[in-house]
Amino acid sequence: MPSYIALIYNADVDWSAAEHSETMAEYGEFGRAAAAVIRGGAALYPTSTATTVRVHGGKGGDVVTTDGPYAETKEALTGFYLFECADLDEAVATAARIPGARDGAIEVRPVIPPMQR
Amino acid sequence: MAGSTARGDDLARAALVRLVRDEGRRVLATLVRLTGDLQLAEDAVQDATVRALETWSRDGVPEEPRAWLTLTARRRAIDLIRREAARDGKEAGTVVPPEPSTPEPPEVLRDDLLRLVFTCCHPSLAVETQVALALRTLCGLSTAEVARALLLPEATMNKRLTRAKQKIARAAIPYRVPEDHELPDRLRGVVATVYLLFNEGYAATAGDDPLRPALVDEAVRLTRLLRELMPGEPSVLGLLALELLQDSRRDARYARDGRPVLLADQDRGLWRHDLVEEGVVLVGEGLRRSPGRPDPYVVQAAIAACHALAPSYPDTDWSAVLSWYDVLLTVQDTAVVRLNRAVAVGEQQGPGAGLAEVDAVTGLEEYALWHAARAELLARLARTDEARAAYAAALALPQNAAQHAHLRQRLRAVDGINPPGPAPGS
Repeated sequence: MPSYIALIYNADVDWSAAEHSETMAEYGEFGRAAAAVIRGGAALYPTSTATTVRVHGGKGGDVVTTDGPYAETKEALTGFYLFECADLDEAVATAARIPGARDGAIEVRPVIPPMQR
Repeated sequence: MAGSTARGDDLARAALVRLVRDEGRRVLATLVRLTGDLQLAEDAVQDATVRALETWSRDGVPEEPRAWLTLTARRRAIDLIRREAARDGKEAGTVVPPEPSTPEPPEVLRDDLLRLVFTCCHPSLAVETQVALALRTLCGLSTAEVARALLLPEATMNKRLTRAKQKIARAAIPYRVPEDHELPDRLRGVVATVYLLFNEGYAATAGDDPLRPALVDEAVRLTRLLRELMPGEPSVLGLLALELLQDSRRDARYARDGRPVLLADQDRGLWRHDLVEEGVVLVGEGLRRSPGRPDPYVVQAAIAACHALAPSYPDTDWSAVLSWYDVLLTVQDTAVVRLNRAVAVGEQQGPGAGLAEVDAVTGLEEYALWHAARAELLARLARTDEARAAYAAALALPQNAAQHAHLRQRLRAVDGINPPGPAPGS
């Protein structure tokens, strides 16, 4: 069965803060309801905690780090799930039940399967 | 004599190409089911149709052309799978089921095609991609023909189609008929895509050629196929009726120099009365099958039928047209529908009333036909300066070349000594 990653984009806030406990509870509910297709996932700390890493000068070159996310946008990557679904329709229907789909957007992308042999 | 034989050969050849293409798209649908791979199925069917054209023009058409094509394409698919596996040095990933001992029942073949319709018109594909895919896989056009039909370079079209097939395969866009609860939504998408295809041929939004008959014919053929697959579906009946009624005017819509001829000025003797008749019957069936909530396509077709049945423009039953527009607004309240209704008000109640209605329609400031409608009504009211400004505004917006030429001529008429003339409906 194909696998899909569901990337959750919405407000760049601290989801671990007490004020978001209600939303987190909703995510817990979603996790239980969609357990049959969820293969993994996590919520992320805000982009203010992010470090972006690049290597300049090819393999073994200088490691250059910058403070912050890869791209500064109004809505940020705040979490993700890995689904295993029958087809895109099931993946989209599942993504539509993620709480973040209501105040943000979910990007659903098929995952390249591991080498067959 | 030799000439007439050559012509006979041409006709026979054209009929054979048509047959191979029509059967080919059905065989393609079956091959997609068997292999689960659109690209592979396409390659196999492409090869089978080339062989069919060679063999059949020499030995005659076999008794069961579809069975012949299916068998040939199936063997070709197995061949392609083996070859690819050998090249990659691993076992074949795709398995084609063994040949059935009895021919598959017609329902299975019908469902194959229906599934393919819903795959090509899947909402996760961009609408322009859906249109291209529909032409390629459902109408059986070659990539070069699709590119020509949609006025794009072949390389661009090839890239677009390849990406689309890749997305279908990689994202696992399903190859199945949607379940009952999602069917109305998905069907709306399919019908909208086919209508877009029709309109691209019937009233091109850009380009030098306002009418592309080949594209119109493909859209009508595809709609007939949808009707065969989903008989009694009101939106499909309505779409087919609407297309036939609009297309019945094909020969009267453009003057020899390519300028569009307004409905009011068309030679109604050039209308295809067989298409009008078929369209009107379909409207009746569509209305009977949607008694609760009228279907927008059926209602639009009913409006087209009012025009098609009028013996002359002044004799159009404007109150019937207006009533249908009122019905249409209950199911499809858009600015363009309001504009068309406002124009009908102008015909029934005079240019003053029409202008008030057109001015009340908001949100079409970037739409050439809104300015053109205003200009026409202002000219009829002899408000020349305002009419001139409105024509200029219309001319500044995107439209096809024929429409542009028509508006320039109207503008010249306003500037002339004579009032713009014979006002339609007067």
